[in-house]
This record gives sequence, C-alpha cells and structure tokens, in this order.
Amino acid sequence: MKLESQTSTLQDFYAEESARIRRNFEACSDGKAAIQDRTALIDSVIRQLWKEVTETTVPADGFCVAAMGGYGRRALFPYSDIDLLFLYEKDGQAEYLGKKVIAPLSQSLWDLHLRVSPTTRTLAECRRLHRGNIEFNISLLDCRYICGDQALFERLRGRVLPGMVTRESESLMQELTELARSRHQKYGQTIFHLEPNIKDGPGGLRDYQVACWLAQIAEMKRSRQWKNATELLPAPLRTDAVNAIDFLDAVRCFLHYQQGRDLNSLTYELQSEAAAAGIGLHGAHTSSANDWMRVYFRHARAIYRLTVLFDEVPRTKSVLSRIFGNRRSPLSTPEFRVLDGRISLVHPHSIQDPDVMFKLFKLIGQHDLALTAEAEQTVGMAVPEIQKWAATTPDLWDHFRQILILPYAASALRAMHRLGLLVLLFHEFLLIDSLVIRDYYHRYTVDEHSLVTIENLHRLAAGGADLNRRFRDILLSVEHPELLYLSLMFHDVGKGMPAENHVDGSLQAVKGVFERLHLDVAERDTVNFLIGNHLRMSATLMRRDIFDPEAINDFSQIVGTIEHLKLLTLFTYADIKAVNPEALTPWKAQMLWQLYAATENYLNRSVDDQRLYVEGKDAQQLESLIPSGENAGEAERFRSFLDGFPKRYVLTHSPAEISTHYRMYKRLGHSSAEVAITRRDDYYELVLVTTDRQFLFAKVAGTISSWGMNILKADVCANKAGIVLDILRFSDRFRTLDHNPSETNRLKQNLIAALSGELDVADLMKRKFQPERQAAKVQVETRIHLDNECSSHSTVVEIIALDRPGLLYDISSTFAELGCNIEVGLIDTEGGTATDVFYVTKHGTKLSLDPQHDLQRELQRRL
Amino acid sequence: MMTKLEAIVQPSRFEAVKEVLTELGISGMTITDVRGHGRQKGHTEVYRGREYTVDLLPKIKIELVIPDNLVDAAVDAILQSASTGKIGDGKIFLYKVDQAIRIRNQERGVTAL
Repeated sequence: MKLESQTSTLQDFYAEESARIRRNFEACSDGKAAIQDRTALIDSVIRQLWKEVTETTVPADGFCVAAMGGYGRRALFPYSDIDLLFLYEKDGQAEYLGKKVIAPLSQSLWDLHLRVSPTTRTLAECRRLHRGNIEFNISLLDCRYICGDQALFERLRGRVLPGMVTRESESLMQELTELARSRHQKYGQTIFHLEPNIKDGPGGLRDYQVACWLAQIAEMKRSRQWKNATELLPAPLRTDAVNAIDFLDAVRCFLHYQQGRDLNSLTYELQSEAAAAGIGLHGAHTSSANDWMRVYFRHARAIYRLTVLFDEVPRTKSVLSRIFGNRRSPLSTPEFRVLDGRISLVHPHSIQDPDVMFKLFKLIGQHDLALTAEAEQTVGMAVPEIQKWAATTPDLWDHFRQILILPYAASALRAMHRLGLLVLLFHEFLLIDSLVIRDYYHRYTVDEHSLVTIENLHRLAAGGADLNRRFRDILLSVEHPELLYLSLMFHDVGKGMPAENHVDGSLQAVKGVFERLHLDVAERDTVNFLIGNHLRMSATLMRRDIFDPEAINDFSQIVGTIEHLKLLTLFTYADIKAVNPEALTPWKAQMLWQLYAATENYLNRSVDDQRLYVEGKDAQQLESLIPSGENAGEAERFRSFLDGFPKRYVLTHSPAEISTHYRMYKRLGHSSAEVAITRRDDYYELVLVTTDRQFLFAKVAGTISSWGMNILKADVCANKAGIVLDILRFSDRFRTLDHNPSETNRLKQNLIAALSGELDVADLMKRKFQPERQAAKVQVETRIHLDNECSSHSTVVEIIALDRPGLLYDISSTFAELGCNIEVGLIDTEGGTATDVFYVTKHGTKLSLDPQHDLQRELQRRL
Repeated sequence: MMTKLEAIVQPSRFEAVKEVLTELGISGMTITDVRGHGRQKGHTEVYRGREYTVDLLPKIKIELVIPDNLVDAAVDAILQSASTGKIGDGKIFLYKVDQAIRIRNQERGVTAL
C-alpha cells in the first residue's frame, strides 16, 4: 500500500520545514540546532506515516519503529542516511509486517527523497552479538523510540541491550577500536590532512562518537545504567571536545547543504567558502581560509585527544598473550609503568621535573608507546610548568638530540606537539602549526609534513627493498644524524612567515633555535646548509641531466663534501616521500640514488685536482681563514701552510681545527713530527703534521695497529711544500687509552720514534701484532680498481676489502715497497667493509701500465 | 582531424617542453614517469667497488591529443625544446585519433579536447 493521497501534503510539509531549517542554519550557522530540528522533522514525518498506515491495517502490539545511529542520537545531518529499526517480537511476523507496514512506510519516505536504511529485527536478534555486522550492535546503543509498541521498545532498551552490552562488552569494545584503528590507518594516522574528511578522518565526528560509545559500554558494564555518554568522557578533555563537536556539526551541515549530498571532505573550495561564511565561529571572523583551517585543526586535535580512550581497550589477543599480557612490561622504569603498550606515571607529580618529562618522551621515541588517558592529562597540565626551565637551560639540545635519533622519534614529537611542549620549546614551530599550504601534491599540513620526513628516515632502518637498503646504508654512515633530523623539523617553518621565499624565512627563524640549543658553529653550518639547499637536489634531479658530468660537477660544487652529500640526499629522500605516500616513486628514488652515487664518486675522485692555491681564484677563501689580528708575516706563513692542500681539507674542518693544525705546523721547527691525540665521542682522533718521507703512512698505520687500535677513517694529504697532514680516527678496541690515559703519551712517542726510524715498525708488527682469529661475520670480496683518468696527475687506487686490523698497514707498505707515494688518502670503514681511495704517484707522475699491474698484483696477493 | 602526439623526453627537458607547448595554447597533457632505452642503452655506475647498471634510463612520456592544424607547430616546439644534441634525447610518435569524447558533457570531436 502506498499513501497516495497524503504524500503530497506531507511532501509540502517536509519541503517547507526543510527549507526553514536550512534558512535558520544559513542565518546563524548553528549546526546543533539544524540537526536537532531535522531529527524532530523526520520524527514527525514518520509518526504521521505510521498513523496513516496503521489506521487501516495492523495492530500496533508487538511491533515498533526506532531510530538508530545518528538519527537515534538526534544528530541527523541534512543528507545523512536515516537508520530505522523495525522491531517485532515474534518470529513469523516478518512477512506480514514487511508487506503491510515496513514496505509502504519505507517507500513513502523514499518518495520524499529521504535516504532510509531500514533494518528489521526481532527482540531475540537484538540480544545477539553480530560478529559480521558489529555496526548493527553499535547502532543499537543510540536507539530511540519513535512509534508503535512502546513497551516492546522499553524491553529492548531496558533489558535486552543492557544484557547484550554487559555480556559482550569486551568484544564490542575491541571490535569498535579495531574498526577505528583501521579507519585511522586509511587516513594515514594523522588529523593533519590538507583536505580532511571531517566525519571519518582522525579527529573527526566518528572519533568522538567512538569515544562516547566506549565510555557508554564501560559504564553499562559497571552499572547496567544508560547515562549521558558525553558526561562519561574524561573531564579535562570533555569541554574542548564538546566545543569541537559544536564546530564540526556546523561544518558538516554546511558541507551537506553546499553539495546537496552526504559528502564530508573539506576541500580547498569549501574551506574558502566556510571561512568566508564564518562557519562554526559564532560571529567571529577569520582573515583567511588558512586561519579558519587552523581553528578546524584545533578542534580536530581536541577530538583526536579522546582517542587515548581507544588505547585503553586491549587489542584482540591470543590465549597465551591473554594469560601473560597483563604483566607489567619490562619497559617499565621507576618513573613509568608500561602496560599493554601504554605508559602511566608512577608518581604523577614527578612529571614536573624536566628530566622526567624528557625521559617520558624518550621512552615513547624508543618503543612507540602511547600515554594512558590519565598520563596524557597529567603531562598536559605539567607542560606549562617547564617554560622557565626551557628558557634558561643549557641542556635542551642534549635532551632533544636524544629524542631525535630514536627509532620512533616522530611518535615522541607528535606527542610533544599534541601536548603543547613542542611549541613551548620552539615557538618557531608555531608558525607552521596546522598550516595549510594549498598545492596539488602535498597531503599534510606543514607541521605534520615536517614530522613525516623524520618518520620516513627512521623507517629506513626497518629495511626494505634493494633501493631502500642503499639509502639506509647512507643513513647508517652519517656522523651526526641528529642535525639532519633537526633540519627536517624546521626546514619549512618559513612557509608560515611573510617572506617571499620560504627557505630564507626558515633560515631566519632557525637562528633562534640555534641560540636556545647552544649549537656550535659547525652544527649551525650543517643545519643552515641543509635548510638553505633543501630544494637543490630535487631541482637538479628534475632540471639537469644527471648522467651529464657537467651537471655532476656543478652539483658537487654545491655540496662540497661527502658528508654534506649524504645528509642532503637523505633530506631529499625524506622530504619527497613526505609530500604524499606515492610521491617518491621508484623512478624518482632511482634517480636520487644515481645522483648521489655519481656525486660521491666525483667527490672522491677529484680530491687531488681540487686544491687550494694562494695564487688563483681561491685566494679570497684562503684570506677568510686567516685568524684575525695576525701580523703580515704570520698571515703569509698561514697562507703557505694552506697552499696546495685539497679543498676538501678546508670544507671538512672548522676554522678552529685548521688553526690548531697550523699551530702544530709552526712547532715543526722544534721537532720532526707533531702529534696530537684527542678523545672524541666513541673514538680517538690522531692528527699528525710532519714532512713527507718514504713509508710515512705505513709507519703511522703500523704503529697504531700494533697497539691494537682499529683505524676507522683517515684523511691523508700534503701541501705544496710537502708538509703532510694525516688525520686518523681509531677505536681503542682493548680500552688501553681509556684505562691508562698516560699511555697516550707513550703512543705519541712511539709514533715519533717510528717516523724517525728509531723504531722498526715492520719488526713491531711481527712481534706485537696479533691478527684476528675469529672468522669474519660478513664476507666482502676484495676489489682493487686502478684509474688513470679521474685525476690529472695521480693514479687513483680504490680498494674495497673486508676490514681487519693491520689492513691499512699492508696497503700502505705495499705502496711504499713499490716506490709509490700517497698524495691523498681517504680511508673509510662502514659495517666491516673498508673503502679506501688513494691518489698515488711514482717519481712525481701517474703510474704507467707496468707499475699499475705490479701494484694491482701485489695488493691482491697481500689483501 | 585529430592526432595523438606521444613524446619521450629527458626529464631535464620536460619543463622547457611544457613551457613551449603552453605557449602554443596546448595545456592539456598527460605526463608519465617512464624508463626505457633506445640506442642510448644503459649506464653503469661503480659505487664503492660494486657496479650498478641502470639498464633502463629515466624518461618522461608526454601524451597529448591535438587538432591536426597544431601538429606541426607542436612537433617543432618539442624538437627545439627537448633537444640537447646528445644521444638519448628521446622520440616523438604521432597517431591518428578517430574520436574524442568529454565524459562530463559528452561533447565530441575537437571541441572535446
């Protein structure tokens, strides 16, 4: 039966009322009033239809109509589905009711162009958990009586549902949170989308509802009572969340009215329109769509904070993990208790101590843990307390550096950002807080993009395909990854500044960060280099032919050193990949690596040709290195010291280090060799200044090896006057120098004696040197490559071999025995593999063919 | 009446090609990152003693459908802007197109381009 006669009247009524609700909304943008009014309108439409349909046919006993889902909550948006439950008591009624009531009623609603989703269930069916359709059980939590047998509905709400919810609470909560987690996964686990979905995206309306349902289920289990779900939310989060819902209600109404459909994506166009209309602002106006979006993100963040409640629900577990899962995690510390991947505070007041607060974020960064709802509140309240400490402490960099290098640093930084700590420590980050920059490619707001870059690099450590492994190997060889992460964090803050070029803005803004972190000159230079050039490598990739030697030469001039090249490559990798998950295609990644490899090779193979000369275009650079206040004679001597060193030397050492080396050179008049040994973080650095002689480097390498030291890196070079500067890093494998600091002097004396010939290094190696007996953990095939083309006046010898104590002595003594002189040496060890590049000459020129064969054969034999 | 133009160019020349096509009033185009080789073959890089061979070199494929009266101008523009004179500069292919239909409003023929 169809309600032919009445429908047109009802249609007019529905159309007029709908138009009135829309007009009201457009006048004051009160979303809550609009959805409540629309709910009341649909209620009256359904009751009217019910009255008409039951007048002629069915007894109302044992059958009723209820609203479910958003309609049940009295939150019916203009174009949302209308979820109706047709509830009946007895099996066997279905066919009759379907034909006589449900079909005509639904059809009449569809004729009004309402999107009705009818569900027909018996009371018994509502008692069961529907594992394949858990959404039905959840939607029952919001059920509301509309018409029909009210006693039947009361049985559902008063007895059946409390029983079902109490019995199945654990399953319901787990399924609900699993659905939320997979929904978050779909949206990249972040609220900071440039065009967010305000219903299903993280921080959207659905998250608020899930939090309410979880609170409702927990309360039902406890008291078997229905309570107002909003009032069950944690008090400190509730007010902000309720305000956020008011805002989102208005925005969703606006989206529906503007698009005439149930579409919930806040596109750029709609952002502009919503901002212009002041949607959700209660009469206040923003200056731009970006400002309006910042209001949106503030509210989304308030709702997203409720998702800590999701983590209170344990994940579905195996039997064994159910038995052991509730044990206290070994990750717990005296300050923090870790249970089910969530951290709570053992002594809540202790979090006001900055050391404890940073320990907390380090724990998150180390293990990707979440805070409990209670800990989240306590930490949030304690954050403002450390402002004074942060303004004066010299330890900020030490704390922050440790977080940046942790495997889940991005999780820690997100937690710090969410709780307001990040912008309290670095107000520069506020410039890009929730900042939308519209373009076709970026998916996230600028702050989230910056954090994703850091996440991308840390994810490299987890391995992956062949190309990822190559980037990972680069990351593992970087000396100061913390500076890379710091640069990534602030590289785009200029986008929040009025400067025309955001790179200039970022460089300007980061100066304040340097001051607060007390970074030294070299650290500042590295960060400035990376931020200042962060677009260069991708520009070179796309605008130059990376197989053209000239392009590689030009790019090498920009990066200058291999360390800079590594950092910029990783920066570019992380930055492109953070634009959106598909941005770094295998095509681009391959090109990036190709450019890296070609530039690294170029830098390694051009060292000998790229030298500083007093007479020529480098004069100005040399002048800038002369310490101020030196008299003319001293300045001249300084110039002659630098004259002829590879450019690499001044690029890889700070002016202070160069000055120290110069002072050693000045003392040479009183000794045959100057040696300095300094303890660094986890290695020793040896600097040797002396005059060139036969077997020089073999003697140095042999002496150090005979002491049981492992040479990790070395830069060997000489200036125009034949002054040799060797800088070596070695690890003290047996902690000889650590335990006996006085032995450092004896090692120096040994070196000087070896150089002067008083000590026979060959004999020393025979007597004291004990080669490794253990089998190597990795197999590395020895490769020796000689090249007479790269350098204009040296033969380049590249050696890749399994690292072992004494290796460098064997190589350098082979050179010496065959009459070869080392002009420049670059020694490097990574992951058990030695990669050494030597520029060698014989009688002052490149090696001719026969000596090349002899050298190759002899090296192959000895290695 | 209409021709599909497919050009394979060096990534480094893409911006220049796009610019000259836009100057001709051709703004609709489809761009794909591709890899391949003709006579240029591959490229071998020795990195840390290990050889890495790039058999298929990175290129960009530009596809556009234009009225026949624009074909010569578009080809000339691409030839001038994509050429470096070196091997590997790419190729242009031309195909006849029977029909073009705009999905939104079902316009057909040149007006749909």
